[in-house]
Amino acid sequence: MYFAGVDIGSTMTKVVIMDEKVIAKVIGPTGAEHRRLANEVMEDALRQTGMPFDEIAYVVATGYGRINVPFADKQVTEITCHAKGVSSLFPTVRTAIDIGGQDAKGIKIANDKVVGFVMNDKCAAGTGRFLEVMAEVLGLQLDQMGELSLKAKKKVQISSTCTVFAEQEVVSRIAEGALLEDILGGINEAIASRVCRMAQRLKIERDVVITGGVAKNKGVVKAFEDYLGFPVLVPEEPLLTGAIGAALIGRELTQKALESGQPIERKTRRLEAATFFE
Amino acid sequence: MAWFLGVDVGSVTTKAVVTKDNELVAYQTMPSGSNYKIAAERVVTEALAKAGLSSEDIAYAVATGYGANNVDIASQQVTDISCCARGVSRLFPTVRTIIEVGGQASKVIRVSSEGRAINFAVSERCAAGSGRFLQIIARVLQIDIKDVGPLSLKAKNPVTFTTGCAVFGESEAVSRVAEGTAKEDILAGVHNALAAKISNLIDQVGLEEECAITGGGALDEGLIMRVEEKLGVHLVVPPQPQITAALGAALVAAERPVAP
Repeated sequence: MYFAGVDIGSTMTKVVIMDEKVIAKVIGPTGAEHRRLANEVMEDALRQTGMPFDEIAYVVATGYGRINVPFADKQVTEITCHAKGVSSLFPTVRTAIDIGGQDAKGIKIANDKVVGFVMNDKCAAGTGRFLEVMAEVLGLQLDQMGELSLKAKKKVQISSTCTVFAEQEVVSRIAEGALLEDILGGINEAIASRVCRMAQRLKIERDVVITGGVAKNKGVVKAFEDYLGFPVLVPEEPLLTGAIGAALIGRELTQKALESGQPIERKTRRLEAATFFE
Repeated sequence: MAWFLGVDVGSVTTKAVVTKDNELVAYQTMPSGSNYKIAAERVVTEALAKAGLSSEDIAYAVATGYGANNVDIASQQVTDISCCARGVSRLFPTVRTIIEVGGQASKVIRVSSEGRAINFAVSERCAAGSGRFLQIIARVLQIDIKDVGPLSLKAKNPVTFTTGCAVFGESEAVSRVAEGTAKEDILAGVHNALAAKISNLIDQVGLEEECAITGGGALDEGLIMRVEEKLGVHLVVPPQPQITAALGAALVAAERPVAP
């Protein structure tokens, strides 16, 4: 049987189709003008597998835009899905840190269950947006930042938490002739410190996994390791843990239903445009 | 040598005030730019020229503000909290609470009847609590900051910002523009958001009337109206609300014993 997980984040939309393992995955931007992407991304994923939509036993939607996935059989919060996805990949994880495009979360996991979480979605500091703003002011692509930052020798201290004020600090440091890699090193430290201070409210315990788009930045991951003083885990594809967790939750619900002889509650599936603001 | 000089180097604007016998003789303002030293030097030169004086005529100079250590002519630096309290008290002796909305921070200062700051609260860690938020949104809307106030007064349905962050607020403003929301309604939404942040500061130190508003934010009549609505008080506005701290600095300078 096949299961799909759809994770509509503020910045990226992710879909996986799984049986025992992931057989199709699609990642596309949610973006301002791409808000009708859920069904397109789902169609892409189905195309990869060559199977019709009816072959999918159950679809779970999660993330910021989960209520706007008209073809989903169920909506589940991203906290639950992340915890499930992370635990399936790394059974030893006790603390998951997810840094998305517009938020950051800390999730405490015990025995496969969420036992606590903290979240910042109020302020751009310590989120992917912070990196985006810095990439723009430094004239870099997001995916160039990680490698370059690893060359930092004298990290520039960023004293402002606020993204706007930190941007201004970075502009001043550039004007003073600071090296790009040293500025990037400072930016990564600022993110790690901001997010760890938040996650510490849960008492961070090993193992720690970092997920979300920001986890693709090797420099940020290194900054977390430096801050925490021990190595952290990063999934091969850090954007997909929420979608994987969603698909796995679909599988569990289906199995439970089958075991108890109950019919599986499925919605009538329509692949149609989904928007956030209807 | 009866003239005194106060220089306030703010994050956005630099101001200089010349006083004699505790009266304003001349003032000058200019953008702080990226080199505070140059801005300070120029603003002092121009203020002195307006007063028909040279630097030798100044008995004592005090610098204040974010970039106070860039003022070579000043013999002393005094906090902007003290200077603001001093300057406002000189203009409005009955004021007991000052709301200062600057380019990078907002402050609420409680003032004694002698013009001393007795308590204060500052919002300086977050751009959404300062004039900076207005600048960012004005840029999105392609409106000159001077036109923000008059335009915002036409608002019929102020938008509610769902975020307290200037970066996310900027994205929200972009979305509202795309949806066809009127500029004035977006601006009034920013004013309401700032008024809420100011109200939080007031909660920390209390509010005693009379209440004045100063800083660059006090040039924005839309902001003044929203703050008055939020706090339920009338706000006194100095004729030149940006120079109150510089005026205070000059008054503090005049209190210094002149070297024998």
